[in-house]
Amino acid sequence: MTSHQPPPVLSVEKLIKDYPGVRAVDEVSFSIQASTVHCLVGENGAGKSTLIKMLTGALQPTQGVMKVNGTTYQPSSTKDARRSGIATLFQELQVVDELSVLENLTLGMEQSRFGFIISSDLEQRVTQTLATIEPSIDPSARVSSLSVAQKQIIEIARAASSGANVIIMDEPTAALSEREVERLFTVIRRLREQQVTVIYISHKLDEILSLGDTVTVLRDGKHIVTKPLSEVAGRAELIDMMIGRSVFQSYTVRSAVTDEVVLSANGLSNSLLNNVSFDINKGEIVGFYGLVGAGKTEIARALFGADKVSGSILFKGQPVGNSPKEAIAAGIALVPEERRTQGLFTNLTIRENIPVMNIRRMSDNGVFRSADELTAAVNYVEKLGIATDSIEKHTEKLSGGNQQKVVLAKCLFSDADLLLLDEPTRGVDVGAKTEIYDIIKNLADEGNSVALFSTELEEVLGICDRIFLLYCGSLESVIINGPNLDTTDILNVVTGGDRGGTQ
Amino acid sequence: MKTVNLMSKSTTFVYSRTALAGQVAQFLRNYYIYFVLIAIIAFLSAANLDRFDLFERGNFLYEKNIINILRVSAPILVLAGAFTLLMVSGYIDLSVGSTMGLSAVIYAMLAINGMPFWSAFAITALCGALLGAFNGLLVVRFKITPVIATLITLSLFKGIALLLVQDGVSAIKSMGDLRMPQWFNAYGREGVLMGLPMAFWVAVGVTIVLIVLQNRSLLGKYAAATGGNPTAAKLSGINTSKIVFILYAIVGVCAALAGIARASFMSLGDPLSGDGMELTAILVVLIGGTAFSGGEGKVLRSFIGALIIMTLTLGMLTLVPAYYQTLVIGAVLLGAAASNHFISKKGQTLSE
Repeated sequence: MTSHQPPPVLSVEKLIKDYPGVRAVDEVSFSIQASTVHCLVGENGAGKSTLIKMLTGALQPTQGVMKVNGTTYQPSSTKDARRSGIATLFQELQVVDELSVLENLTLGMEQSRFGFIISSDLEQRVTQTLATIEPSIDPSARVSSLSVAQKQIIEIARAASSGANVIIMDEPTAALSEREVERLFTVIRRLREQQVTVIYISHKLDEILSLGDTVTVLRDGKHIVTKPLSEVAGRAELIDMMIGRSVFQSYTVRSAVTDEVVLSANGLSNSLLNNVSFDINKGEIVGFYGLVGAGKTEIARALFGADKVSGSILFKGQPVGNSPKEAIAAGIALVPEERRTQGLFTNLTIRENIPVMNIRRMSDNGVFRSADELTAAVNYVEKLGIATDSIEKHTEKLSGGNQQKVVLAKCLFSDADLLLLDEPTRGVDVGAKTEIYDIIKNLADEGNSVALFSTELEEVLGICDRIFLLYCGSLESVIINGPNLDTTDILNVVTGGDRGGTQ
Repeated sequence: MKTVNLMSKSTTFVYSRTALAGQVAQFLRNYYIYFVLIAIIAFLSAANLDRFDLFERGNFLYEKNIINILRVSAPILVLAGAFTLLMVSGYIDLSVGSTMGLSAVIYAMLAINGMPFWSAFAITALCGALLGAFNGLLVVRFKITPVIATLITLSLFKGIALLLVQDGVSAIKSMGDLRMPQWFNAYGREGVLMGLPMAFWVAVGVTIVLIVLQNRSLLGKYAAATGGNPTAAKLSGINTSKIVFILYAIVGVCAALAGIARASFMSLGDPLSGDGMELTAILVVLIGGTAFSGGEGKVLRSFIGALIIMTLTLGMLTLVPAYYQTLVIGAVLLGAAASNHFISKKGQTLSE
């Protein structure tokens, strides 16, 4: 740190972003110094991505000011942001596989005469930039022959040589192996030496502690703190700042839980899972908690037979087949993560959606009984409290919460004994959330089992009887829910810290 | 200063591979198409063609046969390169056959009414450019899916061509006092160099121009970027709409040149003379290794692909009973596609 603080390369003042019913970013103000690695941390829903989208021009702030090098900055698109020197490393890599490394680096910046490319010092310059940050990549190689990590470096090099002085990286290590992560860190450190500022977003606290100069913590859309990482006393302090000391919804021990094992998974492994074993009992609500990419969705899809997995899964003592069809027949239903694309037929009505998973129950020898469909639809709309003026309403016109209830109705109609709920309250407003929790609890009280896969700790602690903590595809720890749980310990486990004690 | 070859023909240099097997696979992948052409010619040369009238006694590689095949191939040869560039950018034009038919009609009408060759030629090519630009407009401006947009213009252009021809006549041709000029037929048939007609040399010239465009110009590189990763192209500040529009216009010009060649070869302006051309063009381009999904593909390889299809079609005409010809051609192409797939798969696993 120099003694004279240079003007901040990027700053936000009282930035606000409102969505209908929610304030995602709430009067956030902080500034970022040039040539630093500035980390942004916070739980899911803390407002990180909304903030980043405003910085890159993908979203417009409701109120507040953003400044680049002291001048007001109002990007209307990512291209606009780039022009102001702010580049983003998207999770979906924006390189052209079919071109060579050099062609990718010069793309859009070529010198030309009468439409023909002429050689200039540009090639030399970008080759040099690439060599500075990663000498092992051959500029004449075809990009399709490179690894994901190398492609990422190509994008970084392109951003750097196009004159960007701020590069935003959103979870850049999500798809990288440990060695590749080390290499990326070396690249980021070299960028910093080249006077490039990096805004680094990650859930993995160790990465932040080893890489960052400064950290900004967001919580519930509010700015908590911005300070040098040298003044942060380790993971524990970061976690404290991220979760605060908020009171979680009180969990009460449920009496419906039995000792009867309904589902028993043993040694589940595939490319994303690593020897995961657990039991689920009748009447129980279990939670699978971990960060994005920890393996929650993979477990849900494996149990449902949607993905191939090695190891054994016994449901009521019988092996589960390896297709969703067999899983449904055995009594397992999945509420998928992406409600709109995987859970609903948004072009169909509520009535038409409900019987989809068990259409046999509605038909005699292939002839459909529409009267039964009508009755079922009316029943579920009433039972789950789906707010709609008609069962003939197209599901795309429903709110998120009501859509999710239709998906739940669809699963209930399939007569499932085990419900797998993958992020069931994502994008659902607070009122509907509580209703969905009540539906889940009622179902479990009736003797069904529920597995809840979630990235929201509050949700898991609120309704689950037991909680499985996941990190990078491994089941790290099992926690029995109850009062006085140490949330710091839980977050420590799921962010890759030492294994927490099993209670 | 280290000079770096921007667009060397084998940009498929694969990084960090040492195995000889990998290089062999790479070699096969790059030159595969030439082997296919050679194999087909070798097969036809070895086969006994004695019985057939079309070929000179017993020898496929006889000069007249080759000239004959290349003359008939002029329309597809002149179209293949432009079609490749369009497909590399991730777009397609199904109206090329109708553009060709309409151009043939326009060209024949101009010629029969006394316009000199070069004026008729230039005006027809310009019409082709306008037709192509109209396709481009529908696709980039009105955002109509390329397949649908060009199916619409397929009917539209063909409809115009049919209206231009008088009632009771099937094509523009010499009738009564109106005679086709002498030069009309020469363009597609009369040898000007090495026994080959103007139409063939125009196709060669167009192909060379397009090869240079693909390898050296912004248009060529941006077409690959647009087809390979449109988002990346846009984020790099490339006006992908403009690129696609220009490519449609170029395809229109080349389809018009194909129409001229066909009209000249047949001595008439037939509105249906381009029917089925879109399928031939797609086939030729795919045989040449262009990816249907865009990004990948070379003008020269499509030119070779066109030679393969034409050699095969005309060769089979003599070897196989008429009713089996289409089936045999399909089977040979299936074999070519399957082995191409196998070679590239193998190359990929080796490079990992």
